[in-house]
Amino acid sequence: MEDLLEWIVQRGVGGGAGFCEARFFEERSSSISVENGVAETLMSGIVTGLGVRVIVDGRWGFASTNVLTRRSAERALGDAMGAARALATSGGEEARIAEAEANRDRVVHKVKVKPEDVSPEEKVKRVLEIERAARGLSDRVKDTFLSYRDVVTRVMVCNSFGTLVEEVTPRTYVYTSVIALRGGNRQVGFESVGNVAGFEIVDAIQPEEFSRRAAERAVKLLDAHPPPRGTYPVVVNQKVGGLFVHEAFGHNSEGDLIFGGQSIVSDKLGQRIASPLVTITDDPTQLKHGHFAYDHEGTRGRPHRIVKDGILVGFLHSLESAAKLGAEPEGSARAQSHHHPPIVRMSNTYFAPGNLSLEEILEDVDRGVYLSGSQYGYVHTQRGQFTCKVEQAWMIEKGELTEHLRDVAINGGVLDALRNVTAVGRDFKMEFPGMCGKEGQGMYVDGGAPHMRIDGIVVGGRR
Amino acid sequence: MTGLREEVDLVAPVERAARLLSSKGLDFYDVTAAHSRSLTVNLLGKGIKDARSTTDLGLGVRAFKNRGTGQAYSQSLKPADVKALVERAVGFARVAQPDPYFKEIPGPSKAPRVGGVYDAAVEALTLGEASGLVRRTIESVEGVRAGAAFEGGFGTYCGQMFFRASTGVEVETERTYVSVGVMATYREGDDVGSSYEYDYAVSLGEIDFEEVGAKAAKKAVEQFSSRSVESGTLPVVVSPDSASSLYLALLVAISGSSVVKGRTYASELLGKEVAPPILEIRDDGTIPGAVASDTYDGEGVPRKPVTVVEGGRVRTFLHNSYSAGIAGVETTGHAIRAGYTGGVGAGPTNIRVKPGDSSLREMIAETRRGILIDHASFNPNMVSGELSSTVDEGFLIEGGERAHPVRNLMMGGHILELYRNIEAVSREGRTLGKGHFFPAVKIRGVKLAGK
Repeated sequence: MEDLLEWIVQRGVGGGAGFCEARFFEERSSSISVENGVAETLMSGIVTGLGVRVIVDGRWGFASTNVLTRRSAERALGDAMGAARALATSGGEEARIAEAEANRDRVVHKVKVKPEDVSPEEKVKRVLEIERAARGLSDRVKDTFLSYRDVVTRVMVCNSFGTLVEEVTPRTYVYTSVIALRGGNRQVGFESVGNVAGFEIVDAIQPEEFSRRAAERAVKLLDAHPPPRGTYPVVVNQKVGGLFVHEAFGHNSEGDLIFGGQSIVSDKLGQRIASPLVTITDDPTQLKHGHFAYDHEGTRGRPHRIVKDGILVGFLHSLESAAKLGAEPEGSARAQSHHHPPIVRMSNTYFAPGNLSLEEILEDVDRGVYLSGSQYGYVHTQRGQFTCKVEQAWMIEKGELTEHLRDVAINGGVLDALRNVTAVGRDFKMEFPGMCGKEGQGMYVDGGAPHMRIDGIVVGGRR
Repeated sequence: MTGLREEVDLVAPVERAARLLSSKGLDFYDVTAAHSRSLTVNLLGKGIKDARSTTDLGLGVRAFKNRGTGQAYSQSLKPADVKALVERAVGFARVAQPDPYFKEIPGPSKAPRVGGVYDAAVEALTLGEASGLVRRTIESVEGVRAGAAFEGGFGTYCGQMFFRASTGVEVETERTYVSVGVMATYREGDDVGSSYEYDYAVSLGEIDFEEVGAKAAKKAVEQFSSRSVESGTLPVVVSPDSASSLYLALLVAISGSSVVKGRTYASELLGKEVAPPILEIRDDGTIPGAVASDTYDGEGVPRKPVTVVEGGRVRTFLHNSYSAGIAGVETTGHAIRAGYTGGVGAGPTNIRVKPGDSSLREMIAETRRGILIDHASFNPNMVSGELSSTVDEGFLIEGGERAHPVRNLMMGGHILELYRNIEAVSREGRTLGKGHFFPAVKIRGVKLAGK
């Protein structure tokens, strides 16, 4: 495969490309779905192909194929160069790219138990054990579901800077959801675990701490109440903090959205944008769900400090955004597959811990909302408006958690919220493994935070 | 016969896989091969950023043994890879446990051909021509107001799919799809005016590239000087641009295995009144030339129009053969096959909401104080039906007139509460993809959270 990639890059440069990149991608996955104690579907998939990206006459062109022959690769190169040339007179964004050092390396992330060494029968047996714990909890438990997925991703990047890196990354992910029912009242609880890891992550699951916990949550939510609506101080737990830092701020710091004028902080580098209690980092070197050694442009991944003590100190960069914004490439460009070009992505993004206990964070809250567990979120980076949907919540009254709440979402202005962070805990966790969507591409990420208090957040509710 | 079909033979690898599967002692199987080419021109910042061409090809197999399912797919159609794929699927089917709900997959049916889902002009389009179309959208934005920062893009899809099942079903489809979407963002100091506009269709000729750009720019400029509003319980007018997610929130919840297995808030709604009698929703996957139309569904069952909500009452769920088997009814022909990579689900096709007798203008004029929602996701918790969503773009209505754009405003409630409180449906609406029709609705008593 190296030969094919290098041949394409040479032909691209020889054909007039100012920059040429050929990227091989392969992803082998297997998955199991369990419904109510029955492992009824097992599935496997192989995605494989080649993506070619060029700069010709100052314009980007990209093409992909999943036929891995010289002829097909050459055709993809021709399509990519033709695509760039087709834009020659169309104006718009000029393609520029930072000079990158040539990296030549091969990284294979090691795991304790390779999923391919575990038979389908053994996998089924283990996931059924995990799922079973959810069903015995209560006769209110109506429905249980568990999905297991292991995937090995192999990426090879070759470019005209002389880079040729290969990285093989195994990931394993388990998700369970449980529906509890009483009359017409239906509630759902869920749990997930995922990382750059092998089957050992499944072996380590304690069913009582995983599927049974999801079941307990679903049953307890039957008695929870809709939240009151209005503006409150909120205290977020680590999962909500992980979602918040990703949605509310992370996307706004992506270099392509910065040079494209799509971020609320495009012109705020070096300025105070947050409370002095806020420090935000994106770090692909941490062994979490967003971990990698090299990004998909072949740049070595490094920790990126984005906000330090409330000051905006950096952005996340691809080779292009680094060139356009005068920064050093630090390895933040990734692609979902060979069919997608690398774009700027977060990896493991987190709020740094402070020094307070949860009790200290809560004690100053006269009336507020404690938010726990994350469902999903989104942000309009142009306006800096975020929405985060959480799994459950409690009222805070005079520093104590009181009424249990369900179906709570919050929203607000990104910068308002960051300025209104008034307390940061020391109990940091990063446990929000998931997939982030951007421009039609899904990507492995993680998010983390300690408990934090944010004033003046809008809480949506029915009361 | 099109260029695509001449280029890639999907039939031979499907036949090869089917031959192998037929000797494995399975109860049922099906094989799907798909090939597509896509062109994309992306917008960012000052305008066009890049152009892309993508070719995708793959084969997927579903094998059923003792009610257990094994699935496998691969992006290689080489004989050796097809053989390995079949072995994986068959091996998985033997390990899978019996699904108590599974009965069978459908046999063959004949239906009149639904035409107009393929446009040769889309397949023939070059990236140079595509960038010219996008330039028209950009110039239209700039014509309303110069200085926008852009995000979005234009894309075409031209795909061919062939599947064969052990029951004798054999379906070949070929379709095109074209879409354009543009986010225009203007800045005045720290104030931002930003909005998104889009369109999609089977055919190039269905899309007005200038109108998309002009609408995005006008809506963006209107978003300057947005303000928070007080929390309260107010009527909302949901514009046709935003109403699609409100209707989808119900139609997705009444689709497929989730609803018949009791996993959605709509599981007990069959035959029940969910809205005032003015609400009627049809689903019609047989409209010629519409984006979600086809002769057959994802299992080879003929598409047919169904009335989903009539007189405010849910008349049917949307079924594939699996969910229909659980419910003990005939499939409604709403199976959705996820290309070669996945299983077969169920969902709506072209959603047609019957126009009412109000106009959007009247709805606003008759509102003393309320909110006009131009963009929001009515995206409830599909299990509980409870909703807590942001009004992404909207206006305060005061004295029957649009006052100012709102920000950081949320709405909360139960999705069925919103449906019950529908007061009016508009005469006019938005047609999308030549199939969907979404009128505006007015909903009373929506709980809003603001400052």
